[in-house]
Amino acid sequence: MSADDFDPFIERLYSRTPVMQDAGLFAADVETRLNSASRIRTLALTAAGLIGGVVAVGGAVDLNLNLSSDAGASSAQLGQGFTASIAAAQLSAQGVADRIGLTQLDLGSMGGMQLFWITAGAVLALLAAGAVRLSQEV
Amino acid sequence: MDLHDVELAAHAAAGGRREFGELVRRHGSAVRALLRRMGAEPSLADDIAQDAFLQAFQRCAEFRGEGTFAAWVKRIAARLYIKRRAKDARYVAELESEEAAPAQDHAGLVDLDEALKTLTPAERLCVSLCHGAGMSHPEIASAMNLPLGTVKSHVKRGLDKLRARLQPGPALSGRSANVG
Repeated sequence: MSADDFDPFIERLYSRTPVMQDAGLFAADVETRLNSASRIRTLALTAAGLIGGVVAVGGAVDLNLNLSSDAGASSAQLGQGFTASIAAAQLSAQGVADRIGLTQLDLGSMGGMQLFWITAGAVLALLAAGAVRLSQEV
Repeated sequence: MDLHDVELAAHAAAGGRREFGELVRRHGSAVRALLRRMGAEPSLADDIAQDAFLQAFQRCAEFRGEGTFAAWVKRIAARLYIKRRAKDARYVAELESEEAAPAQDHAGLVDLDEALKTLTPAERLCVSLCHGAGMSHPEIASAMNLPLGTVKSHVKRGLDKLRARLQPGPALSGRSANVG
């Protein structure tokens, strides 16, 4: 057999796969590893979300609930830009609340930092949920 | 499940584990056999084949169906094997040796697995990467960190030995299943 004939011949031999008795077991092992990798990822992301949420709630609880009354003290501690952004967030949230009829909800009575931590907690929870969902799809 | 590999891979890329499981069932043996033909012991071959399938699942969106799914996973597995083995100093020394295991006489039967045992580890690996995993000589040289000329001579010497050993005959059909 010439070299030119032998190359396709050897490739055909390689493409013939011996029958493996434990093929089903192998497939099951891969499936198990696939599921356990996904479970670990979901657990890690859930734990990260929970830790983030706990930190956020802890931050909110530690703060004085009436920070709005001593906003001056807050301003002294926080950077000027940060305070302004919190105020803007409060105003826009108030506007939305007015529009949807939640007039009895007085966001002005909430402290700036309290609002910040609640928002941060909600954002973290949303991010964690999104990451978990994404990891399940990948 | 009668779907084509490309359709199954598309489902797997969208997170379909059941469809990916079907691909593993279809091609698991082919990938494991290639790794064994490259010189891996059965347990290491299975371990690397599993890693290759897990990696294939994560990268399923990259599979566009230009070649076969089996060939795509075989290449992933081959690269994983080379990477794993490069860390093993004993194996690297073995690759440089010229010793081959004595082959058993199968009275003219075409048995690739037996014939491969007559090759040195480096010849066996290079021939299997080239003709089993479909890698080009430059790809093998790059993956194994060897000069291109060395790879070419390993492949040529290996094929010469296989040609001398293998005689196509009626035993070729029926000894194994064609998986592709």
